Amino acid sequence: MPEIFINGHSIQAERGQSVLQAALAHGFYIPYFCWHPKLSVAGNCRICCVQVEGRSWVEIACNMPVAEGLRVLTDSDTVKAYRKSIMQLMTLNHPVDCGICDKAGECKLQDYHYKYNGAPSISRDAKVRSTKFHALSERIVLDNERCILCSRCVRFTSEISKSNALGIIQRGDASLVRAAEDRPLDADPYSDNIIDLCPVGALLSRPFLYKARVWYLKPTPSVCPGCARGCTVQIWHRKQEWKLNALDPRQNVSIERVTPLENPHVNGPWICNKGRDLAQIFERPRATQAMQKGKPVDLPSAIESARHLIESAGHPVALVSSWGSNEELGALKHALPGRFAAFTKHDWTPQPGERLDDDLLIRADKNPNTATACALFPRQDDGASAIAEDTDLVLVWGEGFDFVRIPVGAKIIFLNAYLQPENGHADVFIPISIQTERRGHYTNFQGVVSAFAPCFPKKASVADAETLFAAIAATESARA
Amino acid sequence: MANTKLLMTFPVTETSHTLAEYRARGGYGALEKALRQMTPQEVVAEVTASGIQGRGGAAFPMGRKWAVVHPNDGQSHYLCANADEGEPGTFKDRWILEYAPHLLLESMLIASYALQVRNAFIYIRGEFDLPYRRLAAALEEAYAAGYFGERILGTDFACDLVIYRGAGSYVCGEASALITSIEGKRGYPRNRPPRLTVRGLYQKPTVINNVETLSNVAWIITNGGEAFKQVGTAKDPGTRLISISGHIERPGVYEIEIGYPFAKFIDEDCGGILGGRALKGIIPGGISTKVLTGKEIEPLTLDNQSLAAAGSSMGSGGMIVIAEGTCMVRLLQVLLRFYHHESCGQCTPCREGMGWLHRIIDRIVVGEGRAGDIERMYQISAWNDGTTICGMGDAAGYATSGILNKFRDEFEYFIEHKRSRCNGTLECPKSS
Repeated sequence: MPEIFINGHSIQAERGQSVLQAALAHGFYIPYFCWHPKLSVAGNCRICCVQVEGRSWVEIACNMPVAEGLRVLTDSDTVKAYRKSIMQLMTLNHPVDCGICDKAGECKLQDYHYKYNGAPSISRDAKVRSTKFHALSERIVLDNERCILCSRCVRFTSEISKSNALGIIQRGDASLVRAAEDRPLDADPYSDNIIDLCPVGALLSRPFLYKARVWYLKPTPSVCPGCARGCTVQIWHRKQEWKLNALDPRQNVSIERVTPLENPHVNGPWICNKGRDLAQIFERPRATQAMQKGKPVDLPSAIESARHLIESAGHPVALVSSWGSNEELGALKHALPGRFAAFTKHDWTPQPGERLDDDLLIRADKNPNTATACALFPRQDDGASAIAEDTDLVLVWGEGFDFVRIPVGAKIIFLNAYLQPENGHADVFIPISIQTERRGHYTNFQGVVSAFAPCFPKKASVADAETLFAAIAATESARA
Repeated sequence: MANTKLLMTFPVTETSHTLAEYRARGGYGALEKALRQMTPQEVVAEVTASGIQGRGGAAFPMGRKWAVVHPNDGQSHYLCANADEGEPGTFKDRWILEYAPHLLLESMLIASYALQVRNAFIYIRGEFDLPYRRLAAALEEAYAAGYFGERILGTDFACDLVIYRGAGSYVCGEASALITSIEGKRGYPRNRPPRLTVRGLYQKPTVINNVETLSNVAWIITNGGEAFKQVGTAKDPGTRLISISGHIERPGVYEIEIGYPFAKFIDEDCGGILGGRALKGIIPGGISTKVLTGKEIEPLTLDNQSLAAAGSSMGSGGMIVIAEGTCMVRLLQVLLRFYHHESCGQCTPCREGMGWLHRIIDRIVVGEGRAGDIERMYQISAWNDGTTICGMGDAAGYATSGILNKFRDEFEYFIEHKRSRCNGTLECPKSS
């Protein structure tokens, strides 16, 4: 553990660390653009310069190994002057179009300008013009005028996602980030991470383009249900105080974007593109009306009918959702009468064209909570029919089950959140809430438990599965 | 001064570059001596004793570079000759590649033996056509004669050599960019640490020497390090190949003993300034060294100590002579266009600074110069001083501030009057 001194304060650095890492770990902030804890050192932005005591020049901290007794200054006059010069050079050809840039508000260049420079440009020469709105892939547009060529995106695709999709062409101030000719960035399921990595507004999400200023949005911690990895994410939605009154009110309760929530135990700082597209899962048409044989009824009478069906059933079967939270699954286990045969089902199976699994994050099991569900209920055996011929009631919770497999004559109770044809075929259909409307936990395939919080209010006509199970499974005597 | 020659020791003819003639001149004798009579350690010691400094521009002692590599530390080592001679005004390595390719090959074999290198490389710039063909033919001859491959000269020493052609980037002449280019990647310079002698080509310790530096090794082994030290000055021994161009009567490549009088070299060896004009300035060692005025060079001798005292350096030995009447504003424009074009764009000060300098000088030349432009150019040069990954930012800054320091009045005149104080051209027609 080498002892180094930052601005005269002694700190215990770890062997093999750079001065930048040691300083950040001990609360001394050194600015950086190109450096990233998960990527190799490029050392090209030069903003992380520090001064070794006794030397007249500056050196970059990201590539300076710690050594016993090393004394560095992070805020000497030389360092401050040099940082200021780097900020002048960074903004020399940068358009400074923050007013129309999606990155504004969470942009390193903007933050550092106010923190380390603050002065207008000293250049009176025309800026170098470059490509705007270059379609890097189906999902990402690139503004080369804003790009500061930190090469984070290039290093991400070569070191983390390993698609090697990006490179830099041309030289000097004409350098351009470009995708390889066969456009492999479209096939890279982790491509959108480069949008977060971009320290400026050069790489922009096409679905999010011009949709909202980030300061009108609020991130709610959540868990991606896309696969058994259970990456922690932030779901960004409009702040209540900035709700839109004039436009479509649905915009106030919609997912604007999804970003990773850094989590060293599960996903690190990354998520895959499926996690970015949670709106495609959660914003499908919702079922909000309880039904009996396709006829609308109110929620309490549907619950009452379901309870009667359960009480009168001789050989009931329950098919348990692997999208249920730990709390819901526990409630079902607690409430279900002993005569029920209960099985865990796969709500989601891999979609055509979807990456099955890889070494980074993506898992073949496309359900978030198979771990807890299987711990409480046996897995559905897909080979033989799990549903015996004499079954007279089937409780189906969640999507992904083909009603054809239910024996003729058996009654069906169906709990589902989305508008689907099967809803009307059930003897009792009860609409249930989705992840963005409630609180809960998922356990991922490694056994790591992650929490999600509600983003939007739940409709009164929709039930929460956790309380619903107690209500529909309770016997008359128990209620009395 | 005797002006001893170590490299240009034979008359150049149509066939003087062939293996047969090279052997007739005693070629590959040094290799025989090294392999049969010396241990690798003795070869390194001999080179260290010679005190030879790098000829590529940085003047780093060759022995000290070699000493960092431990031949028996269990990993592979690589040797690379830097034949990416791209510094404007420099074409001295080209002379060796064209007329004495075997001298380089023999020296590289000796160096490979000393450092226990199995695979050596020559990185030659893409624009070199005849030099490449000569070098490739020489390598083929040498392989056929058994100087490369397994069991060289019947000993256990084995070495293979690959000639790698660059694609014409100036930055690829920088050692770390050069090896990155050999690895097949974009030719970006690398951050130090680690030094290339610790982790270089393919992440292994790599020694990269200039062609001229390496070519001296054969002479050092034949005649001994002490004999080499007798040539040149005490601190900077040996000879230098000087490529001289510009407004000079007899441009070309000359070998001079280090310490040779500067003025004598210009006036006598090279026949004086073109058309008998006065000397306005000389860029002594490639455009990245600071310009010297005609008056300044009078007392100087051609060695690093003397030139360093005058604020410049021997650099790569590419001299550019500038006659009276040449517009220095235009000259700086040419230099800055080059630096702007060749900046690799990796790190911020050089990527943005070179373009900025070029736009300012372009503006001055079309008569749109403004007060403060000269200060701005000084400032951008200072921002590049010692702050970039490789030395290119520094070099451009030296070139700019060097010319501004000595010819500032011409720039001020140009900005004020929107025209050159000279006739505005760079050409110097021969007086009739």
